[in-house]
Amino acid sequence: MKVKKIKKFSQALLVLVLVASFTGLGLWQMQRASDLKLAQSQAAIQDRKIYALSDLATPASALDSRSVGKIVEVTGHYIANFKAPNQVDNAGNRRDWEVALLQVGVTASDQSAILVLRGLWSERLLNPDVSQANLVTVRGILQPHQNEDVAENSPSQISRLDSSVITSYTKAELFDGYIASTSESINGAWLERIRIEVRKPVSRVAGFYWQHISYVVIWWLMAVISLFAPFYRRKMS
Amino acid sequence: MKSAVTRFRIMAIICGVMSLLLWFVYMPGKYASNLVEDHKILIFIPIVHGYLYMIYILTALQLSVQKRKSIFEMAWLILAGTLPVASLLAERKVVKQYS
Repeated sequence: MKVKKIKKFSQALLVLVLVASFTGLGLWQMQRASDLKLAQSQAAIQDRKIYALSDLATPASALDSRSVGKIVEVTGHYIANFKAPNQVDNAGNRRDWEVALLQVGVTASDQSAILVLRGLWSERLLNPDVSQANLVTVRGILQPHQNEDVAENSPSQISRLDSSVITSYTKAELFDGYIASTSESINGAWLERIRIEVRKPVSRVAGFYWQHISYVVIWWLMAVISLFAPFYRRKMS
Repeated sequence: MKSAVTRFRIMAIICGVMSLLLWFVYMPGKYASNLVEDHKILIFIPIVHGYLYMIYILTALQLSVQKRKSIFEMAWLILAGTLPVASLLAERKVVKQYS
């Protein structure tokens, strides 16, 4: 009698654990679906405000995902130039890009820097007047760092648009991410060159809305089956 | 009685093919390469698999109840839809048992 009671109690406990787990997993997938929807709706909103870089990012710390895609304006000096080969733009064209390291600020004591995607490598000689002595104002879109190498690293070439690959070449504190420039000016004069529209960053929330919703239904179906299981009696012939 | 077996067999085969696509095309394409990013059409695989698996569960339940299978056999049939090849093996077993 006692054994039977213990057996029934453990069965009930197991069912409760299973139902709670499946319901929890369903709720988790529901949360992921709503996170994804929110991320997609935020991405669709075009924020046209121009921010100072310091409002959105700090050197030597990870770029907040909410800052990605915002328009920033920053003034400083270019202190290094790199070739970023085999880069693919939003239209799918694979080309070599010119990336510069911009020391942020107007005084020599400013020791922070950010990578700036200036344009095509083939157009790097179009603006010979840009030297390290010039104070450059860059306006562009803040982008997250790239994760995949598409070339070799060397002192004049970077494997990906990521400040972590150039830490050994500079003492400046580096910002995470980079600016995809839309315009540059020196002393009020705009520099004319082709600007690159980079690929839109992929959301960190994995999956797709209706995929998550299907998993919600599956987990909750599992919860219902678990509830039904104790009442399922196999009729032995 | 026979229709429950037929329904399960159809869903087991479809889910087996979708599982194979999910595990060996979509997963490597998403996590090991840029295949999914470059070919957006591939996102249909997990979505279709998710909804078909729901139908598969219902057919497995119907078959289990009608054939008076044990709770463990029922659980195995349900879980078989999530693993590549497993639902195809389950389908073969059901054919052997009931044909």
